[in-house]
Amino acid sequence: MTALVHDLLRVSAERYPDRIAVVCGNRRVPYSRLQQRATDLSERLVASGLAPGERVLVLLENSPEYLVTYFSVLRAGGVVVPVAHDANERGLGRIVADCTPSVVIGRGEQLRAREWTLGDAVSVRTIVDVDSMEFDRRRRGGGALRGAGRRPVDAETNQLALILYTSGTSGRPKGVMLTRRNLLSNAASIVEYLKLTYEDRVMVVLPFRYSYGNSLLTTHVLAGGCLVLENRFAFPNVVLDRMQEEEVTGFAGVPSTFAILLNRSSLRTRVFPALRYVTQAGGAMSPTLARELKEALPETDVFIMYGQTEAAPRLTYLEPAELLRRPGSIGKAIPGVRITLRDEEGIPVRPGEIGEIVAEGDNIMAGYWNSPQETAAVLKNGCLYTGDLGRADEDGFLYVVGRRSEMIKTGGHRISPKEMEHTLAAMPGVAEAAVVGVPDAILGQAIKVFIAPTVGKAVQAADVLRFCSENFEAFLVPKEIVFLDELPKSANGKVDRSALKGDPPA
Amino acid sequence: MKPLEMVRTFMVENFLFGDDGTLREDTQFLENGIIDSTGVLELVGYLEKTFGIRVEDGEIAPDNLNSLKNICGYLERKLGAPKPA
Repeated sequence: MTALVHDLLRVSAERYPDRIAVVCGNRRVPYSRLQQRATDLSERLVASGLAPGERVLVLLENSPEYLVTYFSVLRAGGVVVPVAHDANERGLGRIVADCTPSVVIGRGEQLRAREWTLGDAVSVRTIVDVDSMEFDRRRRGGGALRGAGRRPVDAETNQLALILYTSGTSGRPKGVMLTRRNLLSNAASIVEYLKLTYEDRVMVVLPFRYSYGNSLLTTHVLAGGCLVLENRFAFPNVVLDRMQEEEVTGFAGVPSTFAILLNRSSLRTRVFPALRYVTQAGGAMSPTLARELKEALPETDVFIMYGQTEAAPRLTYLEPAELLRRPGSIGKAIPGVRITLRDEEGIPVRPGEIGEIVAEGDNIMAGYWNSPQETAAVLKNGCLYTGDLGRADEDGFLYVVGRRSEMIKTGGHRISPKEMEHTLAAMPGVAEAAVVGVPDAILGQAIKVFIAPTVGKAVQAADVLRFCSENFEAFLVPKEIVFLDELPKSANGKVDRSALKGDPPA
Repeated sequence: MKPLEMVRTFMVENFLFGDDGTLREDTQFLENGIIDSTGVLELVGYLEKTFGIRVEDGEIAPDNLNSLKNICGYLERKLGAPKPA
């Protein structure tokens, strides 16, 4: 395996200099050119004083420049901290204060628009416009002298490569620290099970600043494949047009990506002869949606995958052949990762029992930046406690049954709201369903169900109760049923359970 | 109110939090970070409800929906077209 992340690009540039690494609009950038630009920028960063381990804030959307910047910072020994190019001042200010970057890299207008936030930050010495390659030196100091004559490579694979900020619900941002080893081991494992080669071309609609998007970047550069960038998923047919024109072999999405494609695009009426596989991660997708996706793309392998940013990110995948046989399963651990299910004392549960999903492997993060307490809560003896509860079937295939914090305990029974929701979603006339636990004097918690009926369908509480008594055990029949036009969602499209527990008006 | 003003009001209230200073007729929504994929679907829902039209999946395209100007052109074509018998 390649020892260094930036070597991924160097090795592919040596092997496939003329192959296209990235397509963006009309631009097609070969590996040799990408490597040249990354080397140039890397040397200028070192010359300007960037020292190993220093953070570089990257304010770029998906573009060839993002790749140039990513590999140049890693080559210089820096730590990439990608943030949304259109991040608001408040969010950006918090991240800057937390990770204290010494360099900021962005482009043109987007960079200038945020200059006051960045210019005021004490840590920032240099602001780089990657379009003009202008280096704006703000402050003296840093590693200017150290930079002179220093070789721009640090061979330590446990060195930090990336800090990814996750959208924590508390006010303070949480930066997941990923090392070079984390990224390399996970990329190699994904390339192995997806069987990626230099002939693969993936349509990228997911931002590189998220761990799923980042893994598309690392895996395809490792394989010598091609990244086809398209930032206009808001118009899904534009993406489908590009997938056909570019003859992409792969596509990656989160559940809402596929829900939009299946409901508001012409996916079902098109054919994609080159499309070898699609992958889904980034939250649980209902088995109904997975089946519809497979029906829409009968010739394409559908990989259901599971992971966390804290695992760089991949932990498990389901073999496409098992998709319809084991609906709802996230499959088994990927190569190089070990998964166990453990009880509240950290002891492995017996077969068939529900336990917390705990992972070990070279992909597990180094911790949360500046947050030893939060780190200690999830990293124990080198194991990542995911906070997700799972169970395994008799063949060892894993199923996520919910978040540890979301489990409902009613009358001594532990209930997974997600399993109930998947079943309820299959009830005729039901578009969406959510299940929460509400305080109950006798049971501890009672089950409350929220139903959003399909437009134009009338569903009565009695219908839901009958359906529940036919499909669930008696203790799962809800004590209360509320009908809503639509379920409240958080910004990332997930059902907002805390809003539901607050009992919004119907 | 004309369709242009109605759509502008909707966009400003829902996506620009009342700040209409930056929204010109030819401002590209996506390129300027004004809406994302769920935003486009909200816009489609608004157009369908307000103007009594059905936005076909194939019509969810930048040429029709990515600026106030494009939306007005789309509405004119849609509303001006003879209704199927």
